Amino acid sequence: VRGLRVSLSLLLVVLVAPGRSVGAVPTVGTPKEPASSSSAPDEPAPPTTGERALAAGAVVVPGALVHGAGHFVTGESKTARRLLLAEGVGLGMILGGGSVLALTGASRYLAGPAAGLAVGGFGLFLGSFAADAYGVLSPDADAAGRRRRTAAGAESELGYLALSGPHVDEPGYVLQRVSLRAGSFRVTPSALFSTRGTSARYRVEGAYRFLGATPSASGHGTSDHLDVVVGAFHHREPADYVARSSMELQLDTRYDLGHVGPTLRGAFFDFSIGYAAAHIDYDVNGVAVPGDFDSALLGRFGFGAILRGAAYRGSEASLYYDHRHDDLVGGFVMRGLGSGAAGRFGFDARWYFTPNVGVSLHGEVGSAWLGGASLLFREEGPAASTMRGTR
Amino acid sequence: MKLGRSLAVGVLSLIACVRPTEERAERDLEIGRASASGLAVRVSGGLAAVRGLSADRLTLWSSAPGWDLELTSDEPRALTVELQNVMRSAELVVLEPAGVSITPLGGDIVTQKRYGVALQAGVTRLRLAAPGAEIDGPFTFALMSDVQEAIGAVQDLFQRMNQEPNVEFLLGCGDLTEQGSVEELERYQRELRSLELPYYTTLGNHELGANPPLYQDYFGRASFHFRHRGVAFTLLDSASATLDPLVDGWVDEWLTAARDSVHVVGMHIPPLDPVGVRNGAFASRSEAASLLARFAASHVDLTVYGHIHSYYSFDNAGIPALISGGGGALPERFDAVGRHFMVLDVDARRGVTGKRIVRVDTPY
Repeated sequence: VRGLRVSLSLLLVVLVAPGRSVGAVPTVGTPKEPASSSSAPDEPAPPTTGERALAAGAVVVPGALVHGAGHFVTGESKTARRLLLAEGVGLGMILGGGSVLALTGASRYLAGPAAGLAVGGFGLFLGSFAADAYGVLSPDADAAGRRRRTAAGAESELGYLALSGPHVDEPGYVLQRVSLRAGSFRVTPSALFSTRGTSARYRVEGAYRFLGATPSASGHGTSDHLDVVVGAFHHREPADYVARSSMELQLDTRYDLGHVGPTLRGAFFDFSIGYAAAHIDYDVNGVAVPGDFDSALLGRFGFGAILRGAAYRGSEASLYYDHRHDDLVGGFVMRGLGSGAAGRFGFDARWYFTPNVGVSLHGEVGSAWLGGASLLFREEGPAASTMRGTR
Repeated sequence: MKLGRSLAVGVLSLIACVRPTEERAERDLEIGRASASGLAVRVSGGLAAVRGLSADRLTLWSSAPGWDLELTSDEPRALTVELQNVMRSAELVVLEPAGVSITPLGGDIVTQKRYGVALQAGVTRLRLAAPGAEIDGPFTFALMSDVQEAIGAVQDLFQRMNQEPNVEFLLGCGDLTEQGSVEELERYQRELRSLELPYYTTLGNHELGANPPLYQDYFGRASFHFRHRGVAFTLLDSASATLDPLVDGWVDEWLTAARDSVHVVGMHIPPLDPVGVRNGAFASRSEAASLLARFAASHVDLTVYGHIHSYYSFDNAGIPALISGGGGALPERFDAVGRHFMVLDVDARRGVTGKRIVRVDTPY
């Protein structure tokens, strides 16, 4: 009966947003949430298994439309309202970007910014839904949220990527990557070599961190960061007679969802936006072929969580959308009218099983499927030395 | 988190199909073939869609200026062959056997012709061709794409095209309709009755709203190749922002066949969008560049595209490229183009010798 009452009153609660719990049983007038996620809250007992199950259902119905519904059921009304607000802002951005595209016929002057706005809106929309699910289903958000953050001074990655798709000529790549940090600066050279030895992709990134953890600073207990990234890559595919070189500039951010509510500690939202200018070279035997200039909107959003348990700090998993169409996996193709316009979807997980050694898993779907695994090795910076013994 | 990830991957697995074009490519192989009532039909290259077949009547929608028709009958019969979407000067003639008689019966409109054919039992081969079509020489064709929701105003374009002297056919790069429904496809063919030119076209992404897509039932193959006066034309199905591997194989054959000819290649979604951040292009930049490299290696002379509702003239892989999406669908603003079609002059010996844009109304 209680569950039915909660379900029936849910939409009303969302609309009137009274700011009191409906699913849990805190004393009326007693705030269930702390004023801020970083303060030490007087937190009530966590929801029972039954309440959590009911909330999980509410995440889907009506939560698919009314984001935060799961948190309303567990009594986290402030968090719920914030997720609902994020959904609204996301929808507004989708509507705004989509309207510009529709009303201007994707004008050459406005299509890039409008598409970027829409991508960001989709990120907020999907992210607020995922956050609702995370907050309801994660039983130990607080434990994850209290993990210390740092940035490794040096990290290397060696892995293998497998590709499958109708236009895949090179089904396997070896991945090598090194990331070096000094203070707020980072440089990351990487390379992909096809196992057949005919295709290669070289990339280098330089970044400056305006906000967030560095090897010498732990990032004030959150996973927030704000980086400006300058990148370049050269990708040659001799079997296809082509090579692509690209210069990129983007803003890369991470927002710790612990700011939104205590149940979301340990979760984060990634967003990056930027622009790439590229040149395509054609290497056709016996034919002099002029190259082509190309440009690309760089946009990426993801929702992720810090791994707990036996995982050491820096372990995390995320689901993401990446708008770029010029990687090993291109944009998303599908039946129907909209094939190709969207970018690709993927997941990325990294698990450090010692302070220095870990593994990562990657997966993507777009114009092809990609799956891969890597070995990670890192050397942490001075900030980590103060955290020895903690995960 | 693990549950969420599993769910997301599962959902993506269900909806993601990295080969969405397979069904259409395989359907292409069936176009121009049919059998009923003891009569089998086969059109060379699949260059005409069989719109109707009974014991005494065959209706074909032509996708190209000329092709061969093979009829296999299990008994002698009088057959009325109705040809739709054909050139004004085209004629249907008998190749073999010599004793088959064929009688012109006229047509209701200039792009329609009917013939009475007295079939013998066995195989009869006929040919549709315009006089002089096999002789290399100059000619003119029009180019128009992306009508979609503006079907109600398409007569403005057709009437203007009818005033153009010397244009032999209209080439299209897709998006005839908004969704590709039966009603829309039939409406388009009704509107075409006032156009005094045949319309040879591929499909666009807006023909993919029906499941399965119905376009090929009405307009024929999505990917095909034909020649006219020594110039090769290849139209490809890029409506899903990729080419099917099966089509890729045909492309190799057609590029090889036309390597020493003037060659015009058309498709709906261009491999590369001249405004890259817009992404009105192939899903994979890698696939796009690879395809253009093959075009360049095979000396393609001109590439024509639709999808973007404006006019662009640029080069891709050194090959002149035109985007002409002026059929009336939601126009690109601030481009000073508006509804339009192109008129292109080609010569089998000299290549593309002229192009001009014909504006039909005030640009935005």
